[in-house]
Amino acid sequence: MQAKEHSIALSTGELTCYVTGEGRPLLHLHPAGGVRWTRVLEGLAASHQLHVPVMPGFDGRPAHPQLASMSSLAKLVGEFIDKAIGGPCDVIGHSFGGWLACWLALERPDLVDHLVLESPAGFRRGAGGLPADPQALNRALFAHPEKMPPSHKPVEIEAANRQAPARYHQGKAADEELIAKIGGLDKMTLIVQGTADPVVPKEAVQLLKSLLPRAYLVYVWDAAHGLEVDQPERTLAVVNDFLTQSEAFVVNWGTLARDTG
Amino acid sequence: MKFSFFHLMPYTHLENQAHEWPFPNRYFDPEKARQHYESYVDSMAHAEDCGFDWVGCNEHHYSPYGLMANCNLIGGALAYRTRRARIAMIGNLVPLNNPIRVAEEYAMLDCMTGGRLIAGLMRGIPHEYIAYNIPPSESWDRQREAVQLIIKAWTEPEPFGWEGKHFQFRQVSIWPRPYQKPHPPLLISASTPDSARFAAEMKATMGMVLLADLPSAKECIEVYKSTARACGWEPAAENVLIGMHTCIAETDEEARSEMQRARDYFNGVLMDGIRTAQRTVLQKSRYHQDAASRQRWENRLASRREATLEEAIERGTILCGSPETVVQQIKRIHGELGHGVFNFTVKVGNLPDEVVRKGMELFRDRVLPHVRDL
Repeated sequence: MQAKEHSIALSTGELTCYVTGEGRPLLHLHPAGGVRWTRVLEGLAASHQLHVPVMPGFDGRPAHPQLASMSSLAKLVGEFIDKAIGGPCDVIGHSFGGWLACWLALERPDLVDHLVLESPAGFRRGAGGLPADPQALNRALFAHPEKMPPSHKPVEIEAANRQAPARYHQGKAADEELIAKIGGLDKMTLIVQGTADPVVPKEAVQLLKSLLPRAYLVYVWDAAHGLEVDQPERTLAVVNDFLTQSEAFVVNWGTLARDTG
Repeated sequence: MKFSFFHLMPYTHLENQAHEWPFPNRYFDPEKARQHYESYVDSMAHAEDCGFDWVGCNEHHYSPYGLMANCNLIGGALAYRTRRARIAMIGNLVPLNNPIRVAEEYAMLDCMTGGRLIAGLMRGIPHEYIAYNIPPSESWDRQREAVQLIIKAWTEPEPFGWEGKHFQFRQVSIWPRPYQKPHPPLLISASTPDSARFAAEMKATMGMVLLADLPSAKECIEVYKSTARACGWEPAAENVLIGMHTCIAETDEEARSEMQRARDYFNGVLMDGIRTAQRTVLQKSRYHQDAASRQRWENRLASRREATLEEAIERGTILCGSPETVVQQIKRIHGELGHGVFNFTVKVGNLPDEVVRKGMELFRDRVLPHVRDL
């Protein structure tokens, strides 16, 4: 996938961003592993202008010293949207990126239209999380590791990516401040979760679903935490339908043309 | 030991000759069927008064082999005719049906019975896939996905969607939910090592009916138990159900005579066309995951078809005799297999209803007292 890389100066430092595709703007917030080009992103770029910023401290980019919380990082992303996109957009975030997307929608509701949260971190009050052992981590991330495209990231970058999120969330599994506020997030939201995800357990997304006033929760069968890798077609189908049809994505339109009148 | 009264609800007004499957329904007489349903439901309701712990029924299609195209309807008929017995659906064929519909109907039954449902989530025997135009090669995948979707429909506290390989639902929130928490106990057929493994992975009771022999049953039980332990749980005796054709009469001779006639009708009229259809499916599809599994299934069918009544009794795959003889048979089989639920298929072929009824009462009075504490 051909994505253009550019750098944008923001109040706390430079931010790298990739842009690809054409159409309605869609902001993608990456997981703790950094930016990963999946078939889902490819598919979304077919009908959206996809903006994929690299958060400070990830993928070899320098951290911004003033940023030490999820809410401050979210404000930076808001700045980015103002400068790079120029108006409200849909936002999709995976895991750490989903957590960040929630804060973005709370801090800058003027800039967020529809929200897609893929296996969002930050709502786990019980077991789960990312295992430290690399083999256990791989098993937790992927039900189908054979589908994972080869990583071209150096080992030290991958190691640094695993440490980077703690700068912003201090190792918390449950962001109680966010949980207390999220009921006020009045955005049309899709939560997508793999049925075999041991990192973000179902109780976490059930909690989130119960708190959000306008949310849908869809489980993707036979997917672990890396659902974009494990089940790209299924993930793309539900995300695309949601982004193009909003709440009407629940309707099976079959072979008849949808009545748009 | 728990005892289950299992009824196939066969249609018994056919001449003694084989037909292909599907059976032409020009042979069906609705008035005879009305009488069957009334008599069968009566005897199933009576089973509770004869000491049976469970009353069970199942799903079959396009054949006089069984008149329960939807066993949930019979479950509904039994809900208010019984008070204590578990209503065991053994059960809905989940790869062939809408899993959400199964979840809803089972939840209804569980609420209607005050939490007495045993939820059988079966894969179905091969020819049933022709009935509902479902690819048999997809049976394993479909069952695995359907079972997990059904459990989710029962337990998910918020409306949810499901984007699966075989099933897609964008909004699910069933009303009613089941009475039992977290959900009704599951029962999954486990007559092969593969299915035994799946039953254990799902923490379901394993069910084996129509055994070929005791050693192969033992093998499946061992696979089930070792898989369960690997998954972190320890099955109880009640997690193993063994099922057999059963005939109890005053004397051994009478029981054998009745059972022989019944088996002739069962094998010659009810099963013959089904076997042909099954072979078609098995030879041309991947209903079984590998050649060894397919061969095992075919051997089991052949073994059952070819065994005489005496051989089947000797092998411990049929219960047949006087009450005292059946007590010994039950003890022997339990000694070999260690199971906790014994499922009696009581209406075998065209075994007369009055013989079935008499057998139920003999079971209550002269068998159960000697085997209840096994």
